[in-house]
Amino acid sequence: MFLYCWLILISPLTGFIVLSWMGDRVSRQQAAAIGCGTVGISFLVTLIALTELLLGEESSKGGVSTLYHWVTAGSFTLNLSILVDPLSVFMLLIVTGVGFVIHVYSVGYMEKDPEFNRFFSYLNFFIFSMALLVLAADFFFLIVGWAMVGLASYLLIGFWKEKTSAVLAARKAFVMNVIGDVGMVIAAFIIFENLGTLNFLDVFAAAKSTFRPNGDTILLITLLLLVGAFAKSAQMPLHTWLADAMEGPTPVSALIHAATMVTAGVYLVARCHVLFELAPFTMYLIATVGVITAIFAGSMAMVQYDIKRVIAYSTMSQLGFMFLAVGVGMYSIAMFHLMTHAFFKALLFLSAGSVIHGLNDEQDIRKMGGLRHSMPITHVTFLIGSLALAGFPLTSGFFSKEAIIINSYHADMGNIIFWALAILGAIMTGFYIFRIYFYAFAGQPRTDVHAHESPLVMIAPLCLLAFLSLTAGFGGGMVDDFLFNYFGTHMPHPDDLLFETIGLSAGLIGIVGAVVFYMTGKDRLEFAKQMLAPLHDLLLNKYYIDEIYDFLIVKPVRAIGIFLEKRAENLGIDFSVDQIGVQVREVSRLISFWQSGSVRSYALSMIVGVVTILTFVVFQ
Amino acid sequence: MGHQFVLLISACIFCIGAVGFLIRKNPLVMFMSVELMLNSVNFLLVGYSNFLKSMDGQIFALMIMTVAAAEVVVGLAIILTIFRTRHDMDVDHINTLKG
Repeated sequence: MFLYCWLILISPLTGFIVLSWMGDRVSRQQAAAIGCGTVGISFLVTLIALTELLLGEESSKGGVSTLYHWVTAGSFTLNLSILVDPLSVFMLLIVTGVGFVIHVYSVGYMEKDPEFNRFFSYLNFFIFSMALLVLAADFFFLIVGWAMVGLASYLLIGFWKEKTSAVLAARKAFVMNVIGDVGMVIAAFIIFENLGTLNFLDVFAAAKSTFRPNGDTILLITLLLLVGAFAKSAQMPLHTWLADAMEGPTPVSALIHAATMVTAGVYLVARCHVLFELAPFTMYLIATVGVITAIFAGSMAMVQYDIKRVIAYSTMSQLGFMFLAVGVGMYSIAMFHLMTHAFFKALLFLSAGSVIHGLNDEQDIRKMGGLRHSMPITHVTFLIGSLALAGFPLTSGFFSKEAIIINSYHADMGNIIFWALAILGAIMTGFYIFRIYFYAFAGQPRTDVHAHESPLVMIAPLCLLAFLSLTAGFGGGMVDDFLFNYFGTHMPHPDDLLFETIGLSAGLIGIVGAVVFYMTGKDRLEFAKQMLAPLHDLLLNKYYIDEIYDFLIVKPVRAIGIFLEKRAENLGIDFSVDQIGVQVREVSRLISFWQSGSVRSYALSMIVGVVTILTFVVFQ
Repeated sequence: MGHQFVLLISACIFCIGAVGFLIRKNPLVMFMSVELMLNSVNFLLVGYSNFLKSMDGQIFALMIMTVAAAEVVVGLAIILTIFRTRHDMDVDHINTLKG
């Protein structure tokens, strides 16, 4: 059963190997065909798995497909196996589906890049790694995939390796992700020590009887898993890498840093919800950090001028909403928001990419303007994405975000503070996204650059994603029914007209705020900027978090490094090693005097020696 | 007399060989000196074998001759090669292996 699902992994892996092996020996058309084709195959196979899960009577809960038995060491066994169940197939649909669309878009976006083929081989590597992460049937392969998507992210952020800022951003992302990886690995060790297995199904089955709820062990495990989840999903306080990651090409931002990889943290919590439910404290922490990140990132997004950075902070903010949802135990709502977010955030990024492409790599919104005339299709798709993000009624974001906000109060673990902060986050969302919308598309052009609409290969993915962003919200019930087989609970629909109305109007208030400041009132904007100047500076400098980290961690570590290099390295290690060599050479030079090379002097010393010894022996 | 005579002859031959090895510069002659030293020992072994009425000494003498022959083969080959490359038979000039 589900043996064919290995194709989901093998197909992009083949693409990656072929593309990186062949390099520039394949033409761009061939590279594009291989890159997109292999991901397309993965998507089709995922669809087959989906139909089997939907139609099959006994297979609706999914199953494990084991290829072979890999390792046995004592009581530890490791199978090369994948877990195909509603949750993994749901994630795979997003990964391969959105991934395929973004691959197609990249063909247009990267058209002029000299290293087109390398880009596609990395993209295929990412899809393979992400599919491995999602399909893993045990913590071992989960961590392998987890680390490999981190590597893919590193490679793609630093894709333009001649840009110093890109390389630094890639390094930052990698280091932050490795912090998370370490947490995950230790968590896996503790799980194995307590349960003797890493297999998901065995762990979840045994967890309830082994761990005391809120006991020390389960708290430690969940908190360590959470370190991984927060690092990967850019939650406080491990969030600083995501905004810098925008140095990479825009399709990468859309695929990895908006739609798929950064949602892995949410997926992890949803996948291990059995463990997290045993630790209510951790759940509370998840919800708190989620909602704080949501308003924290949202507030930064309100003042930034780089179009991609704004959307990146928005991604962090929306991930915060998802963590809020899993934190209050509403897993299927979180997954639903994950899906709609993947659609509209990929759409926003790709539209932004289309704008950047059309303006010859201009990312500063202060230099945009009036693009609704020169880029009509991108204008419409960006507007749709913005409306969905802001939660405009009947778009996809409306359904998922509305469900999160209302349940942050009505769920068993929710409370009024979560709800109030979530409302604040939603208001910010509407404000910042329409701020850049007005900057970029309304008014008159601010520079002389003649913007042009992007080619069809970029426009078609935009239209498809725009369609999904508009309509995916109506699939909430289907998503809920499908994921019921994994989570065992349904999405609740609390009937509370007052709270629903407030939630509904939050996004609209934000939009109106953006209209007030950026469409109609230049004076009001300047006045507000002056009134709130300290706050504005604080937000523009991202709360000085980077500077604080630099002061607290980077500088001390570097100082210790320089000190050790000067003292321990130069005076201790280098000196002693050098002296060993010097002294040996000196001693050998003294001894080598005896090695005259003259046979007769050797013979003489030999005879003298023998005679001396004999004299001693005889006359003793 | 008797075995003192054998000892004396043997010691004389050995000293001639040793001195010859030290003072001559021609490698061929030096080789011959080495043979002298070896054969002085052979002489001693054979002589004492006769006095002690034991065959052990003669067996050892045969073995020494065998080893000497083998050694000469290698030594002569080396000398020949050195001569071919350097056209010089003075051992004092062959000192490139110094430290």
